Amino acid sequence: MASNEDGVFDRWEVINRKIKIDLGSYQKIPSSAISTAQMANYLAQFQTIKNSCDRIVAAVEDVSDLWPTVKELFEQHQPLKRAVLTNKTRNPVLVENLPVEFILTTDARLRSRFPHEQYLYWFREPYATIVLVTCEDLDEFKNILKPRLKLIVQNDEKEWFIVFVSKAHPSNDQATKNAKKVYAKLEVDFSSKKRERCCKLDIHGPDANFWEDLELKITECIRNTLERRVQFYEDEIRKLTEQRFMPIWNFCNFFILKESLAFIFEIAHLHEDALREYDELELCYLETGSFPTPVSLSSISVALTIHVNMPGKQREFGGFDSEDDQAALLKPGSKPLTQMVHDDSFREFDFRQYLFACQSRLLFKLNRPFEVSSRGYSFVISFAKALTFHESVLPFCLREVWVLTACLALLDATASHHHDGVVAPDIEKEFYRLQGDLYSLSRLKFMRLGYLIGYGTDIEKSPLNSACLSMLPWPKPAVWPSLPPDASSEVLEKEKTLLQATSRTKHFGIQRKPLPLEPSVLLRVANRRRASLSTGNISEIFDGRPGFTEGSGLEASPRTPSSLKVQAAPMSRTNSSPGNFESPLDRPMRLAEIFVAAEHALRLTISDHDLLKTLSSVQDFEHKYLNLTKGAAENYHRSWWKRHGVVLDGEIAAVCFKHGKYDLAANSYEKVCALYAGERWQDLLAEVLPNLAECQKILNDQAGYMSSCVRLLSLDKSLFSSKERQAFQSEVVNIAHSEMKNPVPLDVSSLITFSGNTGPPLQLSDGDPGNLSVTVWSGFPDDITLDSLSLTLVATNNTDEGGQALKSSAATVLKPGRNTITFDLPPQKPGSYVLGVVTGQIGRLRFRSHSFSKGGPGETDDFMSYEKPTRPILKVAKPRALVDLSAAVSSALLINEAQWIGVIVRPINYSLKGAILHIDTGPGLKIEDSYGIEMESYMETDCDAGATKAEVSVEDSHVSPKRDSEVLNLCEGKIVFSEWASNVSSILWVPVRALSEKLARGSSSVTPLKQDILEGMRTVALKLEFGVHHNQIFERTIAAHFTDPFDVTTRVANKCNDGTLVLQVMLHSLVKANLIVLDAWLDLQDGFVHGKSDGRPTSTFFPLVVSPGSRAAVVFSISIEKTMPSGKDLQLPESILNIKYEIHGDRAAGAHNPVDAADHSVADAERRDLVFKSAIVLQRPVLDPCLTVGFLPLPSDGLRVGKLITMQWRVERLKELKGSESVEKQHDEVLYEVNANSENWMIAGRKRGYVSLSEEQGSRVVISILCVPLVAGYVRPPQLGLPNVEEANVSSNPPGPHLVCVLPPLLSSSYCVPVK
Amino acid sequence: MANTACFIIVGRNDIPIYEAEVGSAPKREDAAQLHQFILHAALDVVQDLAWTTSAMFLKSVDRFNDLVVSVYVTAGHILFNGIKSFFQEVHELYIKVLLNPLYLPGSRITSSHFDTKVRALARKYL
Repeated sequence: MASNEDGVFDRWEVINRKIKIDLGSYQKIPSSAISTAQMANYLAQFQTIKNSCDRIVAAVEDVSDLWPTVKELFEQHQPLKRAVLTNKTRNPVLVENLPVEFILTTDARLRSRFPHEQYLYWFREPYATIVLVTCEDLDEFKNILKPRLKLIVQNDEKEWFIVFVSKAHPSNDQATKNAKKVYAKLEVDFSSKKRERCCKLDIHGPDANFWEDLELKITECIRNTLERRVQFYEDEIRKLTEQRFMPIWNFCNFFILKESLAFIFEIAHLHEDALREYDELELCYLETGSFPTPVSLSSISVALTIHVNMPGKQREFGGFDSEDDQAALLKPGSKPLTQMVHDDSFREFDFRQYLFACQSRLLFKLNRPFEVSSRGYSFVISFAKALTFHESVLPFCLREVWVLTACLALLDATASHHHDGVVAPDIEKEFYRLQGDLYSLSRLKFMRLGYLIGYGTDIEKSPLNSACLSMLPWPKPAVWPSLPPDASSEVLEKEKTLLQATSRTKHFGIQRKPLPLEPSVLLRVANRRRASLSTGNISEIFDGRPGFTEGSGLEASPRTPSSLKVQAAPMSRTNSSPGNFESPLDRPMRLAEIFVAAEHALRLTISDHDLLKTLSSVQDFEHKYLNLTKGAAENYHRSWWKRHGVVLDGEIAAVCFKHGKYDLAANSYEKVCALYAGERWQDLLAEVLPNLAECQKILNDQAGYMSSCVRLLSLDKSLFSSKERQAFQSEVVNIAHSEMKNPVPLDVSSLITFSGNTGPPLQLSDGDPGNLSVTVWSGFPDDITLDSLSLTLVATNNTDEGGQALKSSAATVLKPGRNTITFDLPPQKPGSYVLGVVTGQIGRLRFRSHSFSKGGPGETDDFMSYEKPTRPILKVAKPRALVDLSAAVSSALLINEAQWIGVIVRPINYSLKGAILHIDTGPGLKIEDSYGIEMESYMETDCDAGATKAEVSVEDSHVSPKRDSEVLNLCEGKIVFSEWASNVSSILWVPVRALSEKLARGSSSVTPLKQDILEGMRTVALKLEFGVHHNQIFERTIAAHFTDPFDVTTRVANKCNDGTLVLQVMLHSLVKANLIVLDAWLDLQDGFVHGKSDGRPTSTFFPLVVSPGSRAAVVFSISIEKTMPSGKDLQLPESILNIKYEIHGDRAAGAHNPVDAADHSVADAERRDLVFKSAIVLQRPVLDPCLTVGFLPLPSDGLRVGKLITMQWRVERLKELKGSESVEKQHDEVLYEVNANSENWMIAGRKRGYVSLSEEQGSRVVISILCVPLVAGYVRPPQLGLPNVEEANVSSNPPGPHLVCVLPPLLSSSYCVPVK
Repeated sequence: MANTACFIIVGRNDIPIYEAEVGSAPKREDAAQLHQFILHAALDVVQDLAWTTSAMFLKSVDRFNDLVVSVYVTAGHILFNGIKSFFQEVHELYIKVLLNPLYLPGSRITSSHFDTKVRALARKYL
């Protein structure tokens, strides 16, 4: 042991030797012999000294009694504004506002110390010595002051400097001069080149520089002293550290050195260094300690070695003092060091807290509350482990209580030091997260304590609480607290509350096994740990359930505690019959007894009255529980740990709910549900959503309630039983049909999904309605009756226009799963459409679903696509021609006869089923009502229209063998199409008659007749209504051309000598049919008589066949009636040509046999012959004109603009004017007049005048006139007219108006140089 | 020691796309939900960590009493909660599923083949 003893105190002897001071008794005490009490003395002294000194001390050596004068000034200039000190790593550190205390060397505090004390507690010794002097006399300085000063400063341990105080008044020149002299001398004597040691203070003069100078000098001294002292302590510590693993190691010595060093740093405001010292101290403590929570692997072996070497020298843990349950991890002074010391070390329980308290104090000084939190949290965790290890000897639940109080203390302290926005956002986030963790931890421990004393029924069995509590082992005291003898009434009371507490039945009758809050059955654990109870008794209780391992780490492993609990709980109740109160020592404790016993034990453990109060009643418990939960939630939210935060919100909600604050509860539950729903954690959602629903129901929030029910229904089917799901549905239906004020809109996208049918989209033509079939998936467990259901379609090309809603037929019943719903589709605009929204109504509930299901229910259950479906469900074609109506025949038909007019109806890929055709004939055309309208299929062929009807029908026969033709009756101007004609082209034959009053007129070669093409034109307006609802309308007016069969032209072929005229009548066939002329005759007009014959051509020529387009001619001989009865009224103004004919034509080609003529059973004999009548105008020959005007040819070089020209006309008398009244007056003169367009011509000479012309035949005169053409081009020349002569008597040559060519003016030759 | 593990693949937007209770211990009725609850809460931790490290495998991101949450983050930020080589093999399986043209990324993995393989892997590694 001697060697041990020497080893320990070697270091101290080194110190002693160095400082040449005897440490006295302290040195001589061998470590093993140091009693706890003696060590405590030193520690007590150390702590007292440490506590009494809080700043750096500067000693003032007041040589000339100046201190009372300048003290005020000195202290005014405290603290040091900027002091550059050196830290442990020899780096300069700027310390601001360093306080320094000035103490006179004569002060008792410095004087009374024994030298060994000075060096043991070196940190409190002065860091600088300020020597205050004044002197005005040089001799006095030399003789008295200087030797004295030399004596003072000779101790080289001291850091000193001299302050020379000049009391000389500035006005006193002599005194000032003297002072200066003395000061100069002083500087010479005491300052060296290396170091200025003097400064001068003028009391009466303003000297700002002095204080800066003083601060620099003090700082320099402090820095030097600090360096020296740190160096010294470090050396000592290093030496001691080397011996750390030796058996003689004494931790207390090390602690004092280390903490002294830390304290030196602390009072020098070098907090970082101080903190590092404490950290090292802690590390060293943990490494050398013999407790089983080694910090690093290397230290395990060390710890073991120590065990081997020194059996029994296990460090005491502590934790038995009266207020040890209250964590002191932030109160370094809570317990004097002397109380922690045990042997040569400290009790872990107290010392680790003390160290942490010192660290956190420094961290707060460094303004790093975040670090306190983060270190604190890990400290609490690791300390709790240490407590677990010693749990069996510690008071009941000390661990829980300590953790709880530690967390709360940390929360309080850090929150008050934390200020938002000071640190980086990352750190701040992390800080709040830690606060949240601390709150959670304290909440957990608080719940555990509450549960132990029977408040378990008030703890919500939520996943969070269950996860926390059911995986946290029970406390493991050596012996479970037993029931105090006088507690029977309390037990009864507790039992009553237990019986009263009925677990709240969940809304909707949801049957769920409550989540466990116990890691294993408390009843069993408590009874097992009771000393008095034998194992046999336990097996009695639990049916000898084998293989239960308890107390090991397996507690949290998945056993089946819930089933055990179910068995155990009622059993304990039946056992409890009041009055039959046996001693609890003999039989297993009942649950209520366990609670009461735990409560009593806790009262002993817990020293904090506030904490006790929170556990004293359910109300207080809940209040505190709520506070902790709120704190945790709030901090997690601030740290963006939304999941943690929101889950805790759910816990708050549960409490609110219990207290009837349903609106608050609903709000919070809503948040939780939103979180789980958003991330689709359905299992978790299924736990919370019923709670929300219940709140909403109580709050009468019908919309919310229904929405919750719908969400419940849309959760995975396996999460709820079908009975529960039915309950959800019936709630929805009931509310929907209840008396709600306003209709409630609700999104049921997750529950009712829909999709179009597979296959190609429905195709419709523009304007057509249709039926759209849609598959709707219902997630309801039962059939549900919808009052209405509608669907909107969205046009893909036009998104901004809201879709049109399609209504389904009134009430629809949706079966669970797949339903096919058919919607009536009104005509839509062209485009393609996708499904939009399904809306509907159940009672007052208006629901809508946006969700498009991809296919079968197997896929839709889990995953719904919120993307819009891209596959079109409906395509509406752009407007196009659906049908075509056209005239079948373009060639002319017979006018005034009943003719078939053909209308081709050609459907263009569109059914004409049930189509109605309105036929409206235009003026001059009427339908022969007595005949039916024939309809037959029409084969479009390129072949000529000559194809007969028979041929057509044969060709068509394979298409529609049964019917391809029929007779339809026109009813009120319309006919209805037959079925067979729906999809094939067909032709309608409509019997019509074009009426014309006009008699056909023949034309002659003399008077050519202008044929008016429009005369024979007739129109038929057709209107076809078709489509499913006759919504499609096609209108067309077709034109038909009607004509006479012949165009008649006549000419006199020959004029015989006997006056007989041979009249040739040419017949030009106008129709596309063979015309057979049977007979022809002329009814002559007055003035003409038939020639030899009876007015008919030779009959042998008939019948004469006239092919389409060809001509035939008939010759009649007529003669002019010699004696024309004058004054007698003309009977026939014109001759009539009659032609009896037949027509052989096909109606498909053109004119044909009239309907009535070709008709039915009429015999040939009775057949009405067709007669064509044409008027022919025969004119008796007229006299020759009496005058002729001839335009003489123009000169050959033509006319030119601007060139003068003579126009000439020759007027000649053709015959004598006799008896002509018109020229009676001036028969030898003729009046002429030249007419010309003045824009084109300039005329010179007389435009109008008389020229003499002899009355004799053949007399002639030439009229010439000068004129100049004004414009180039073809222009009418001036014309000569004879106003006095009737036009009929004048023959003109050229006979009609004519044009002459006027050339442009000649170019000037001077400008035109021919190029060669 | 009987162990239990809950393995959940979490898709983007934190939606669970595959769940499996694996492990040798008899199934505790309430465990599934508690495990889900713990894993869900662990996403808070993961979201902080995932962006600060490039490592795919985050061992023991969260502790809940004696349950340890390990996470494996794929490049596409799909999380696997559960052990490293197990994770790696399941990741390969997941990629195979992802390559299936009929699988819509982000939807639930319902392939029974995948399920069988995962459970086989769990027996092998866990």
